[in-house]
Amino acid sequence: MDLLSNLAMGFGVALSPFTLMLAVIGCFIGTIIGALPGLGPSNGVAILIPLAFSLGLDATSSLVLMTSVYYGAMYGGRISSILLNIPGDEPALMTTLDGYPMAKQGRAGDALVLSGVASFVGAFLATIGLMRLAPLLARVAFLFGPAEYFALYLLAFATLGGIASNNQAKAALASCIGLGIAMIGVDNNSGLPRLTGGNLHLYDGVDFLVAIVGLFAVAEVFFFIESHGKGSSIGVKLEKVTIPVRDIVESGWTMLRSSAVGFVAGVLPGAGASLGSFLSYMSEKSIAGENAGFGTGAPRGVAAPEAGNNAAAGGALVPMLTLGVPGSGTTAVLLALLMTLNITPGPTLFSDRPEVVWGLIASLLIANVVLLLMNVPMVRIFVRILSVPPGVLLPGVTMVSFVGIYSLSSSYFDLLLMIGFGVLGFVLRKLDVPTVPIILGILLGGHMENSLRRAMVLSDGDWTYLFSSPIAIALWAVAIVGFIAPMFLRNVLKRPQRITD
Amino acid sequence: MKHLVRAALTGAVLSVAATAVSATECIAPANPGGGWDFTCRQIGKILYDIKQVDKPVQVTNMPGAGGGLAFNHVVTERNDDPDLIVAASSATTTRLAQNAYAGRKASDVRFVGAIGIDPGVIAVAADSPYKSLKDLVDAALADPSSVSFAGGSAVGGFDHLKPLMILKGAGLKDITKIKYIGVDGGADAVTQTVGGFTTAMTGDLSGIVGFLKSGDVRALAVLTEERVPGFEDIPTAREQGYDVVAGNWRGLYVPRGISDDDFHKWADRLRAVAESAEWKKAMADNGLAPFTMVGDDFQAYVDKLVAEIRQMSKDIGVIQ
Amino acid sequence: MLSDRIFGLVALMVALAYGASATQIQASFMADPVGPRTFPILVGCVAALCALVIILRPDDDPEWPSLRTLGALAFAVAVLVGYAYALGPFGFLLPTAIASGVLSYQIRPRLLPAALTGIRLSAGLFAIFKFILGLGLVALPASFTG
Repeated sequence: MDLLSNLAMGFGVALSPFTLMLAVIGCFIGTIIGALPGLGPSNGVAILIPLAFSLGLDATSSLVLMTSVYYGAMYGGRISSILLNIPGDEPALMTTLDGYPMAKQGRAGDALVLSGVASFVGAFLATIGLMRLAPLLARVAFLFGPAEYFALYLLAFATLGGIASNNQAKAALASCIGLGIAMIGVDNNSGLPRLTGGNLHLYDGVDFLVAIVGLFAVAEVFFFIESHGKGSSIGVKLEKVTIPVRDIVESGWTMLRSSAVGFVAGVLPGAGASLGSFLSYMSEKSIAGENAGFGTGAPRGVAAPEAGNNAAAGGALVPMLTLGVPGSGTTAVLLALLMTLNITPGPTLFSDRPEVVWGLIASLLIANVVLLLMNVPMVRIFVRILSVPPGVLLPGVTMVSFVGIYSLSSSYFDLLLMIGFGVLGFVLRKLDVPTVPIILGILLGGHMENSLRRAMVLSDGDWTYLFSSPIAIALWAVAIVGFIAPMFLRNVLKRPQRITD
Repeated sequence: MKHLVRAALTGAVLSVAATAVSATECIAPANPGGGWDFTCRQIGKILYDIKQVDKPVQVTNMPGAGGGLAFNHVVTERNDDPDLIVAASSATTTRLAQNAYAGRKASDVRFVGAIGIDPGVIAVAADSPYKSLKDLVDAALADPSSVSFAGGSAVGGFDHLKPLMILKGAGLKDITKIKYIGVDGGADAVTQTVGGFTTAMTGDLSGIVGFLKSGDVRALAVLTEERVPGFEDIPTAREQGYDVVAGNWRGLYVPRGISDDDFHKWADRLRAVAESAEWKKAMADNGLAPFTMVGDDFQAYVDKLVAEIRQMSKDIGVIQ
Repeated sequence: MLSDRIFGLVALMVALAYGASATQIQASFMADPVGPRTFPILVGCVAALCALVIILRPDDDPEWPSLRTLGALAFAVAVLVGYAYALGPFGFLLPTAIASGVLSYQIRPRLLPAALTGIRLSAGLFAIFKFILGLGLVALPASFTG
């Protein structure tokens, strides 16, 4: 069989004691980078590229190292989400919603093991999908024009209302804050700056990492100064770390479904891992219904976004390899790495350089297995973070955040902005305004506006263009259902005689 | 904690060669993954490989204002740093010409040279009815709103200017009727065009090489003086009667305040990179055409480019 | 009740100001049916509506920190802002030690452990960032090392 012989060739290229060692190191460094707030997979990979060169690694070894770091960072992002309520990077944002409540209940170990397994399932299935379907899936990107993308982003915002909040007006206001921030910067459709107040630093807009780290990490420090660490996950008596077999089995279908959703989101350039984890979480939440306790520490709420974002990370490699279109910041960096190694991704890569492609796929599989084996035993070490006294841990997290953000742009301006977001995050959380919609607004708002405006440019302002393809119509239908369903379901589910599983 | 320390040691041993002492810094004025990032990393790697510098070049990404933030940083804070190089391209001169760097001028830094050019290209999907650049231009002349372009730069940017220059030269009066969508990079522009959402794409040759090989797109014209080696079957715009030459050169600038000796040192190093086998291979693999112009000649070339693009942008209406 | 009303009022002002400044956005030379203003204005309007709803239907007040704690928080913000400015000119080690020491003291007000935390964090993080991750951090300003 073709696939197996290709895979055998890939492993022949990528599997040696030396590359295995690189994979282990890469996975470890990646996990740490992912867990540190402010340092995400994209700057992690970027930071390590010079290392690969200075070690004189050849193309295959560099690829193994970088993919290990990439997948490692995707795994690692969940750690600080669960333990500290601080997303290590943007795809791990949704994991805070149920992961942190679990940690507060003393189940940090369970949450970490479960999310590790979910990450493995998501990444593994995505790699399988990548090798079986990549050339085919590449064609999917050709089906998505501005109208289809607009409907896709609309779908994300339509389901936003379902995010845990007691006050819908506050959740909506939060998304408006995010959208409003997303509008700042040079407008791609006119080439002119908007709402920047003439400040050069704002011309490229506000980086979502600055917002995430400010709203979560810096705000968390303020909470600790206020409370001196009471009521947090730190110091909670931890249960012994075991493998939560029951949770894993019960989340089986969740992981499979979320992997599928995440993979599809990843394959679409411009959607990426964040949208993958968001859509996985929201669809699982609506499937499970109100009684499943999403938002209060439901194991399935941890498994869904992790399977989703890791599957999306694998999916994002499809357009990167087959079209040269980076679907996310990280794949943009991997693309740069490939080009520096004189490998130009594109539609002919699979036939021109099979050894590179299959070597890459083999190294993804290796990295994934290494990560699972490394992550489950390491949970014992991770949870010990929670026994570090807050007086050491929180200043440490803050300093890491500052350096991470400083490394993005080497400017003090982003740091000030981050502190501003920290203050905002403190006030908003005091007032029970959810902060997750702000990030989603920043992440997706610009894309949504751009696709709408591109669609209108192409159609001369004809609104029917937005519904001109079957894909667009289907996405609109799902968006409308997703918007209305929670209101309708809420009434149904409130009936006391309703029995749920 | 013990494990962390052990890991730290392993990592330290690994990377001690990489980060021993501060070395040459190359600022890529954009996020990792773009053209400037490529320039810094590729030139930095070759500089080290061919022993022009004794330590690996450290790449700093300084995104912001389309390179304006880095430009400003170099002028105001690093004006006499002899160990600093900054990646530049046609996008740098286009923005300088359109006064998009908050009043900074090309003469605020010194342009060292360019060592490769990415020829401009106009391409359509393989199944497009337009077989030549003339077909496309005629269609635009007949009904400007029937033609749309996708490109990797924002409205008014370099990719947008390319078709506008051609159409203006062909006598189209109301060029603002020509639809243009600025997407995230050249490959994205190809996707939109192959998907049939836009009539044609405008971008760099390197961005469509793979799609040409796979037969997804057809290049109508390259915007060079002569046909590009390796792509001899693509006619130039000039030989089809549209005198437009536009290429995206890849090069470097350095701070204004460094000594002439330091400047010439960088010029020599850059020339050494241009002549290296490694760079020739990198160019061939990435669809760049040879174009080496280093030192004072290049400064004159940049001044000429800035003046031309400024005039063009005024004519078209991008700037007042 | 009062907190939400004040918050709603502030949000309303900001939303209106945002919408108003959005009307001043420059339009481009190119024809664009939606234009650069529509979206920001829309966002401002929706935000203003949400703010009105919050004013009219406020939630219960949260428990605000005491004046003293607010002072401590303001001080923490000031320290962080100072740190942001100091990171460039003064290198990594010194500002980090001071800033993390102060924060540590604010979370757990004991002088010696806080000072130790500051020094250890500063040195430890520097080692990690510089030698494992290879970030281009400057340990001390050039004027210190000559």
